[in-house]
Amino acid sequence: MSAVRREFVKTLFQKRTYIGWAGLFLVPFLITLAFRFSSGGPHDAGGGADAGQMIFEQIRTNGMWVLVAALLALATFLLPLLSSMSGSYTVAGEAENGTLRTMLMQPIRRGTFLMAKWFVANVYVAIGMLLMGVAALIAGGAFFGLHPVTLFSGQTVGVGHALGLTVASYAFVMVGMITVVSLATFFSTLTNSSLTAVAGALVLVIIMQALGAFSVFDFLMPYLFTSHFDAWTNLFRSPVEWAPIIKALINFAVWIVGMTGLAYVRFRKKDILS
Amino acid sequence: MYAERFDPALDELLPRGCDNRPVVLSTSGLTKDFKNLRAVDGLDLSVCRGDVFGFLGPNGCGKTTTIRMIFGLTYPTSGYVQVLDHKVPGDRLEALRHLGGFVDDPMFYGNMSARRNLSLLGEMNGEVSRERITEVLEIVGLAERGGSKVGSFSHGMRQRLGIALALIHRPDVIVLDEPTSGLDPQGMKDVRELVRELGKQGTTVFLSSHLLHEVELVCNRAVIMNKGRIVMQGPVSELHPASHAVKVLTGDQTRAWEIIKAMAAPGSVREDEGYITVESGDGFVPEMVRRLVAGDVDILAVVPAIEQGLEDMFLSLTAEANNEPGAGAPPEGMGGVTR
Repeated sequence: MSAVRREFVKTLFQKRTYIGWAGLFLVPFLITLAFRFSSGGPHDAGGGADAGQMIFEQIRTNGMWVLVAALLALATFLLPLLSSMSGSYTVAGEAENGTLRTMLMQPIRRGTFLMAKWFVANVYVAIGMLLMGVAALIAGGAFFGLHPVTLFSGQTVGVGHALGLTVASYAFVMVGMITVVSLATFFSTLTNSSLTAVAGALVLVIIMQALGAFSVFDFLMPYLFTSHFDAWTNLFRSPVEWAPIIKALINFAVWIVGMTGLAYVRFRKKDILS
Repeated sequence: MYAERFDPALDELLPRGCDNRPVVLSTSGLTKDFKNLRAVDGLDLSVCRGDVFGFLGPNGCGKTTTIRMIFGLTYPTSGYVQVLDHKVPGDRLEALRHLGGFVDDPMFYGNMSARRNLSLLGEMNGEVSRERITEVLEIVGLAERGGSKVGSFSHGMRQRLGIALALIHRPDVIVLDEPTSGLDPQGMKDVRELVRELGKQGTTVFLSSHLLHEVELVCNRAVIMNKGRIVMQGPVSELHPASHAVKVLTGDQTRAWEIIKAMAAPGSVREDEGYITVESGDGFVPEMVRRLVAGDVDILAVVPAIEQGLEDMFLSLTAEANNEPGAGAPPEGMGGVTR
């Protein structure tokens, strides 16, 4: 636990930590203000197009949808970007600053060091998503009020139930972001430049998303984690459609274990030359 | 007190070297290849308890790569490092508990204060008290800047903080990679004093430097490295040869050269900026004067040659290893020196 605590202290001493969190806290307010002072919706709902359309239509009547809209809007780019940055800093960022050798000259196992950094990188994203949710709740409640929610399947559930579904959705997207963090952590062990690692991970995420736009690549969809990012919308149906959710979680788990495992193997034998 | 006294029971178990002192840091056949480059080539060295050990060599000779292998930062292609009774890389964690120091420029977390850096990094070796942090900051002259962010520190201040971190857990062996690099003259003097003091108190110091006079001033034993290999190792006093050379200037240097060469040992006569320089022994100079006079050569001057310093020897040895033209033969008379 001391390794995790140490990494968390280091994270708290970095300015970019607060910039990322501030961004995630502000976006729900911006979304709310945009809907409050305009009559139309966003140009592109993103994510699941049908669900997105429905969510953005209902925001003005119910602040509960701000939480969901924020998730839908950020899960495709800002959250993966933040997760890439967080994962990329684990090894490459420290190598870039020259502090990697300072750390590894102390008696700590490389595996412990890497896993503590991976864990804290995920905690950082989780705190960011928590701030995002809290901000969305405050903004939605303040501007549109919190009311019972009509699900995509037509049934209406109370605020408490809807809040529970929203928390589950955030948790699901968080697992998706752990996948991105793991991918970025692996890239981070391959280079001494955090920017290269961020670019590597993010470009791969964008390529995966782009492949989803062409039917010719449909055969790849089950294997690409990005194609499962919006499976959480199935939670807002009654009964819940578990099959796509479970399929997505299995996909995420395979990527997480695979990428983290590769990062671990690579880092344990890496020559630290930075 | 800079360092804790060593454990006598453990020392009993260690191999002995240099005046029967225990060997606390050694390398055995240590080799490191980077693709087509052999950076370190079968390095065998032994550092004994209480040594202030100089690790000399030109840039790119493999010093820093060796230190990285000592700390387990890079993996040897073959061979190993031994710190007390712990082998690196196999038993890296235990070895690191007995090591302190830095490689290249010591780097810290710039947004944290010096104190917090020492606390964060120092606790990885066990609990670190505020008093101990204050103590090491005082030793390196940073007590008043302990609360300042390291990002505002100069290179020299980071060097000092690096030494403070190296001292914090009172290790048996301190490995310093060019610790006076970037320091002002007073800072260099302070660091050398500190290293000497550490040695006096029983801490073994492994000091990498390209400043030859620094090694002469501070170290008791040294190795000279070139192209990944040791070209010489031994006590600094023996690396620094006793020379009895004299320089001779006469009215007829050509005739004098013939006379002197005929009486001197092979290879001990050379021409040096218009003088004839010759290695002399007991009774050599009076006999040489007699023969020159008998040969009708006017003697203008016979003066002692300036003793060859470690720097000359270092340049001579590294040039020889590089097969550079004009490289001098290694000086003779170095008993006890491994080559």
